[in-house]
Amino acid sequence: MITVERLCKSFGSLAAVDDVSFSVNEGEIFGLLGPNGAGKTTSINMICGVLKPDGGRVVIGNKDIWLEPKAVKRTLGVVPQEIAVYEDLTARDNLNFWGSLYGLSGGDLKSRVDESLTTVGLTDRAGDRVKEFSGGMKRRLNLCMGLLHHPRVLLLDEPTIGIDPQARLNILEVVREVADGGTTVLYTTHYMEEAQELCDRIAIMDHGKILTVGTLDELTRLAGEAEVLRLTGDFDDPSIRDRLLALDGVRVLKVDDRIAVLSVEAGGPGLLEVLPRVLAADLGVEDVSIQQPNLQSVFISLTGKELRD
Amino acid sequence: MAGLDILRRDLLRYWRNPIRTALLFAMPLVIAGVFALAFGGGGGDQISIKILLFDEDDSLLSRFLEGAGGSSQRDQKLEVVPVGEEGYEMMERGEASALIHLPQGFTTDFLDGTPTTIGVVKNPSERFLPKIVDEGARIGAVGLSEASRVFRAELAQIGDFTREEKFPADLAVAGLSSGVNNKLKGLERFLFPPVVTLESVSLRSEGGEEEDSDFNILAYVLPGFSVMGILFLAQSATRDILRDRESGLLRQLLTAPVSVNDYVGGKCLSVFAVTALGFALFVIIGLAAGIRWGPAPAVVALMLASALAAAGLLILIMSLVGSERQGDTLTTIVIIVSSMLGGAFMPVSQMPAFLTPISAATPVYWSTEGFAKLIIHGGGLGDIVLNLAVLSIVGAALMLIGALILKRKIERGAL
Repeated sequence: MITVERLCKSFGSLAAVDDVSFSVNEGEIFGLLGPNGAGKTTSINMICGVLKPDGGRVVIGNKDIWLEPKAVKRTLGVVPQEIAVYEDLTARDNLNFWGSLYGLSGGDLKSRVDESLTTVGLTDRAGDRVKEFSGGMKRRLNLCMGLLHHPRVLLLDEPTIGIDPQARLNILEVVREVADGGTTVLYTTHYMEEAQELCDRIAIMDHGKILTVGTLDELTRLAGEAEVLRLTGDFDDPSIRDRLLALDGVRVLKVDDRIAVLSVEAGGPGLLEVLPRVLAADLGVEDVSIQQPNLQSVFISLTGKELRD
Repeated sequence: MAGLDILRRDLLRYWRNPIRTALLFAMPLVIAGVFALAFGGGGGDQISIKILLFDEDDSLLSRFLEGAGGSSQRDQKLEVVPVGEEGYEMMERGEASALIHLPQGFTTDFLDGTPTTIGVVKNPSERFLPKIVDEGARIGAVGLSEASRVFRAELAQIGDFTREEKFPADLAVAGLSSGVNNKLKGLERFLFPPVVTLESVSLRSEGGEEEDSDFNILAYVLPGFSVMGILFLAQSATRDILRDRESGLLRQLLTAPVSVNDYVGGKCLSVFAVTALGFALFVIIGLAAGIRWGPAPAVVALMLASALAAAGLLILIMSLVGSERQGDTLTTIVIIVSSMLGGAFMPVSQMPAFLTPISAATPVYWSTEGFAKLIIHGGGLGDIVLNLAVLSIVGAALMLIGALILKRKIERGAL
């Protein structure tokens, strides 16, 4: 449904997006996961036809967005990272305006507006001015604007930033429902939990490049890991690092002055053997936590840094 | 169609924000109202200057001056009330614009050539009307002084006549007449024809009959302030372009099936429509206040041309700035300066001559001048063709340039 081929965009000497390619199947929820500044928003801006790429192309439903922008945009729903609503208008005014841009009018527009407001739970506040809404309500209205015209493809750019857990759950639930209805979803986030819970496939992005693409299982297998050990202690002595690296059955994903992250190699001796060795190595470990392999560890194994960095 | 959707949305935003919208209209109306009140009138009332005349002299000359102040049509606008000492108390109570005091012996001193004084007491609570009286009295004093110098001998002779108990001899009167005549002949070159002539034109009624129309000060000040008002309306409407960018709404709009051309065209249409509707509201308020704007087709045409010029000017400026704050500062300066230079605050004819070409470079000038032709001089559509042409062509050109710059900036991602 979405094909992105060799997309590039630079701002001066900074390559914000560098040779990015991926494809999203119809009805799939595809996640673009990466830290802030990874190039996710720049990619979305090019995919939805707002920012012209320096190179590459974007095909949505067999049409190139830069060759047939209006035709493609009619099939797209976009929910931006920043809340983009007219605060001095009511929720219904906003939706009426937005619907009219997609050619909806009369009874059709009214029924779509009512339906969308019900979907995001804002029916009771339809006549209130948006400036009186909480951040979460504004986010839900913004999502509503993206869904109003029943798009075939929904692009969501970090739609849960800065909202309370309840509103976040509501948004994720709506996204699942939309995808269940056959809409293709491209979802960018830097919250790995969201990507894990929501996405059928995930692309991990950093410094403008796609590092890897796959399902959650594929990605964790790709990293070749079993459990992940997260050690807290005083690791600024280079000799401690050497001893960490010399341990059998583990792979050092990351080490800095206070934190060391080790993965227990799949097919190796296993956690029960490795953990006593680590503790006996006199590394000055103050605390240990054990995690199942997840996107965080995959990201660390790919980049040497944690996602929140 | 997206352009019309954007227009509808913008108008709805004004409707949903009645206080903000009212404030936009309030400023020019308040300033115009303050000007009207400062002149002692408002609505359809005419200007009336009330002068108290404290004539201690009670002589031929003082009665002549008193009569000159209250004659014929002027008594509709100038009321001269003879008073005694109580006149000063009346001034304390602010019951008149000014008091003129002719001291005892004024005529005798004048005829004898002895320096004398006309006293003027002004009402400090009024700003302009006492000035008019002051200037009038000053001109009168200069005229009397010059007459005293030129006709010194003749005035002395008249003084002698008034002091004599018997009627003057025919020969003496003939000599006086001959002397005055000779001096007037010497002055003929300066006095006939006069160097300066005054032509007074009255507004015509709808039936075409000339009438002595009431003078409505709002008719002089409201058009200028309305033009300034629509510039501020255009500022508010164009500011949304930068707000759309800064709030992310522009980016969001461009994800819809809306091209950059649709957006920029829609915003231009919206700014023009808001400005024109604003002007229409000012015209309606003026009508309610008793202003006769002139023939409807001419007023509508001038209103639309003025709105186009205002919208074009503001769109161009906003297209050149980088942020809302920058745009606000620059446009406010441009609006105030061009309003002052263009004649919104005072007629261009009252400004120094070197400012005239600068005034003519502002749309405010062409708009206020056009309305002056319609309101003050009773002109019609044919009289404002040049004004319409300048405002429309310049307005359209500015809007086009501004729109192209905006389009370019949006496409480059700079906006």
